[in-house]
Amino acid sequence: MRTDKEYEKKDRKSEGGDDEKRGRGFARRRVCRFCADKNSKVDFKDQATLKYFVTERGKIIPRRISGNCALHQRAVARAIKRARVVSLIPFLVLQG
Amino acid sequence: MAEAAKNAHLREYETVFLVKPDLTDENVDKVKEKVRGIVNREGGKLLRFTIWGKKKTMYPVAKQPRAIYVHAHYLGAKNLVSEVERNLHNFDEVSRFISVKLAEDIDPETRPVQEDVKLAGDVDDNKPFGGAEREDQVGFDDDEPGDLP
Repeated sequence: MRTDKEYEKKDRKSEGGDDEKRGRGFARRRVCRFCADKNSKVDFKDQATLKYFVTERGKIIPRRISGNCALHQRAVARAIKRARVVSLIPFLVLQG
Repeated sequence: MAEAAKNAHLREYETVFLVKPDLTDENVDKVKEKVRGIVNREGGKLLRFTIWGKKKTMYPVAKQPRAIYVHAHYLGAKNLVSEVERNLHNFDEVSRFISVKLAEDIDPETRPVQEDVKLAGDVDDNKPFGGAEREDQVGFDDDEPGDLP
């Protein structure tokens, strides 16, 4: 059972995350998702997770937008490059 | 350094390789057994093969839109990977491969050999490539479609 104080704490936390708009129309994610979830690992075989870190065109999304920490951004970039070799992720998506 | 200690601890590797999609299950198993033979011959320990099945590749590999993915998880000494890769080069059925070191200094006794896994694959997966959930985030991909050769 949680006390009122704990509920309060949680509410404040959830507000804080989405508050910071950067004028471009999206909220910046401040926490690296791999640091937040200690169990998650960067894996080049995990297509579904890596897709989140590349654009529709196939480019790697910069850390300032993805919110990754430096350590995990390097790991993600490495994993994406490996996944491209075995064709799990495209090098380039031609459009239009 | 004692020779015994050197033998006791191996490195942990994984190799993913793409096999041509028109191969039957038996032929895939043959490739698998060849790789297993190489690993065992070089003093390694093959922990597990996972056949991911026939998957659509993101770009044509060996002029084919699909490939059968095979994942090998093994322990070995430092020269094992080069030997495995040299052989994969020579196999006509294998079109592409990548090897990654997962860990160093693994005691082979602590890693049991697991049964091979065979997954179904996802040939019907015709979903367009992802990223759609970021469409509203302007500014990180400013390329116009026209700027490609």
